[in-house]
Amino acid sequence: MKVEYVSPFAEAAVTVFSTLINCKPERGQLSARPQMFTSQQINIVCGITGQVEGLVIYGMSMITADKIASKMIGAPVVTFDQLAASAIAELGNMISGHSASGLLSQGFSCDITPPTIIRGTNVSVTTLDIPALVIPMNLPEIGMFEVNVSLQERIRLAA
Amino acid sequence: MAKRILITDDALFMRVTLKNILTQNGYEVVGEASNGAESVELYKSLKPDLVTMDITMPEMDGLAALKQIKAHDPNATVVMCTAMGQKNMVVEAIQAGAKDFIVKPFQAERVIEAVTKLLAA
Repeated sequence: MKVEYVSPFAEAAVTVFSTLINCKPERGQLSARPQMFTSQQINIVCGITGQVEGLVIYGMSMITADKIASKMIGAPVVTFDQLAASAIAELGNMISGHSASGLLSQGFSCDITPPTIIRGTNVSVTTLDIPALVIPMNLPEIGMFEVNVSLQERIRLAA
Repeated sequence: MAKRILITDDALFMRVTLKNILTQNGYEVVGEASNGAESVELYKSLKPDLVTMDITMPEMDGLAALKQIKAHDPNATVVMCTAMGQKNMVVEAIQAGAKDFIVKPFQAERVIEAVTKLLAA
């Protein structure tokens, strides 16, 4: 897992949060995990396919998800209903979509799959045996937003 | 009479947001599709003046739906509205007949500007 795959996701998150809810995330220290694992309450899972492939999980607390969804919807989220879940899923889709543009400018053409939301803590996701890199982001006045990236270059078959 | 628009997006949030923007600006949202296949079917039955089309969706993606709609009606006005802003996607969509390409997250003004321009004629 190369660190260069992660930067497009961090940059995309900054762009999306700034445009979407006028919030400038502060990037924290990058760390590695032997496999994809999240201890967050709300997780958006997006698949990446193409010249690099794997998974990205955006994790956050319930409170953070409520705050982000409220800003996106433009009204307070009282219960995390279908509309709020859909807003949070779309946030993941937007960050992944922008990341795909960033990956393309590095020479990797990729597509993304529709997002899935997983609620519940201590979730371990194992699909490919690749370690995950994690970038924590602090959203001022909102909370922490964690970007977990687990990607590998697709093995090219000999022609 | 208000111009009739069909919204296509798998995310309920996006459909609600687009519907609010469009109805507040005097357009009528005649249908909402949550995937490409639904959009093609609704296009045929509703014959809207304009379609907004997401790309990343389950069942049938927006590029495939765009091509089917254009095959059914070469004069269809389809505006892509997606988070996938890569150049190759934009080029493929425009070549397939999309009239505009809006990258999410967007400002309401950007949507209205695109729709107004296309429906003015």
